[in-house]
Amino acid sequence: MTDTPLIRLVDVSKVYHLEAGDFTALNHITLDIMEGEFVALMGPSGSGKSTMMNQLGILDVPSTGELFMNGKNVAGMTNLERTHMRRDVIGYVFQKFYLIPLLSAYENVEYPLILKYKKRDSTGRAAAVLKSVGFDDEMSAHRPNQLSGGQQQRVAIARALVNDPKIILCDEPTGNLDRKTGFQIMDILCGLHREGKTVILVTHDPKIAEYAHRTITLEDGRIAES
Amino acid sequence: MRDIFFDLSVRSVRLNFLRSILASIGIVIGVVAISSMGMLGTNMQLEVKGQLSAGANTIVITPDVVRMGPPGFSPQGSGGTSSSSSSSVITKSQLSKIKLAAGANASAIIPVYSTNTEFTLGSVNGRGTIYGIDPDYITRFLTIENGTNLVGANDALVGSSIAENFELKIGSKIKVGSTTSGSRAEVRVVGILEERGMAADSVSTDNAIIVSEDWYTNQYGGKNEYPQINVIVKNIDTITEVEEAIDTRLNANEKTPVIRIRDASSMLSNISSTLQTMTTFILAIGAISLLVAATSIFNVMMMSVNERIQEIGILLSIGTETGEIRRMFLYEAFILGIIGAVVGGIASIVIGYSVVSAMIGTTDYFFMPESIAYVPIGMLIGIVVCIISGLYPAWHASNMDPIDALRAE
Repeated sequence: MTDTPLIRLVDVSKVYHLEAGDFTALNHITLDIMEGEFVALMGPSGSGKSTMMNQLGILDVPSTGELFMNGKNVAGMTNLERTHMRRDVIGYVFQKFYLIPLLSAYENVEYPLILKYKKRDSTGRAAAVLKSVGFDDEMSAHRPNQLSGGQQQRVAIARALVNDPKIILCDEPTGNLDRKTGFQIMDILCGLHREGKTVILVTHDPKIAEYAHRTITLEDGRIAES
Repeated sequence: MRDIFFDLSVRSVRLNFLRSILASIGIVIGVVAISSMGMLGTNMQLEVKGQLSAGANTIVITPDVVRMGPPGFSPQGSGGTSSSSSSSVITKSQLSKIKLAAGANASAIIPVYSTNTEFTLGSVNGRGTIYGIDPDYITRFLTIENGTNLVGANDALVGSSIAENFELKIGSKIKVGSTTSGSRAEVRVVGILEERGMAADSVSTDNAIIVSEDWYTNQYGGKNEYPQINVIVKNIDTITEVEEAIDTRLNANEKTPVIRIRDASSMLSNISSTLQTMTTFILAIGAISLLVAATSIFNVMMMSVNERIQEIGILLSIGTETGEIRRMFLYEAFILGIIGAVVGGIASIVIGYSVVSAMIGTTDYFFMPESIAYVPIGMLIGIVVCIISGLYPAWHASNMDPIDALRAE
């Protein structure tokens, strides 16, 4: 629809200063991701996948180079602006689900809405999103530790979706699930892509990466294959 | 609308209920210590002040040479100004000067006649002071517990000790004057005064009979020769000013001072400041326990933060503002503070009351504002201490790096 990439990395490097010396996790990466793409990010351990994930999730900023997210240079944003972008533009789905243990399934999904609108949800949005990932009302009152892995990941996806983000960023979303449940989760993600979301998937599982339309392989902090 | 961060804090407190309660107990103890120590000190001050302050607003003026005994039964009696004995009594003209000097600052200027006397009730003899005071002024500084003020010429009021010792009742008759005298005057008791103790205005009524000015001067003579003048000031803060004015007007033109002027305020303020120091001291002891409580709250808050590092990481990564994270932990400290303060507040009323009752012997002043105020003050301090203890843990939590926090197990 638009020619401007949703995410643009220009010569991005990330260097960690360790006692043993500098470690370059990302080495001069240049990459565009357009709106509506379904991208898989692959690579062996230590290839820089996680660092890349943190950059794309703007949990971190590049050491050198520029990262444009939704048209904005991440390095030029304040902490608060980055926080708001994480809340409004990106939805996170983690391998370990990372639900808030003190909140019920419903409240976990409602939480980003409260962050955004500073009030409880009265529009039914949270309940509707939960339903869309196949989660019934009865289960909504349960705390995360009362749910199965697949159920927790559904709640996590609902939480990621509730503020209608442009990007769904998934870090090994099926890594803690059995194969059958994993494929169910992937079906949900494919559905989201069909609805127009940009889905970025970090995985080391080629079977899962097959769902994506574009695969980027990292090796030693560089793009080996795109 | 309930704040979700408040809900999270409540749930965190509930999840670690025992730990939270134990931390709150520290605050309970601190609040109780501050409140009951404060109340103890204040009640002590109020009790002592109450005992001393009868007549604290009164300037007592006496002749410079203390007159011994009655002015005598000299026949010159009525109207005699007897200017020759100017230094042994306060004269009518001196009284006018006092009135002029005190001016509008005085709410009453009361001439007080007094002498020692013997009296007889039935067949029992006694000794005491007899005061002659204008009945209009009596109720300005004396309290009649039973009966009425003086009305008839032979009416008298009696002090509480006399009334008790001689089992006097309203209507009792007392013979006044030397027991050897043939014709003794008789007065009728119309009222009994409240116990007064050692009064600062030099009118000690407990062992005294009070009669009207007219009856006194008829009996003892010395009309317009006053052994004592009491000036009650309207505002106790002006007492020094009034004293100086009187001193200037009466003593300045004389070779030696002709009158003595004194009041109880300086003694009272000395005692008050001593008691204030003691109160501060025992409050400081109470404050130490709050310091200990603060440490335990800090400890619990740090534990809460450290146990929830990953949760903080989740909250931060999905777009929670750092201020919201801080708020969540400050709420938690606040909740611990509220629990501690409410329990402590209730406990300090009970404990404070018992301590005051046991150590001071009276709880008359316990519910007075300056005393009971220590309960909300103690509670407030408890809550504030909790929040202060939570500041660093909250700041620590909100400044975590989300990536590191997420990785924590």
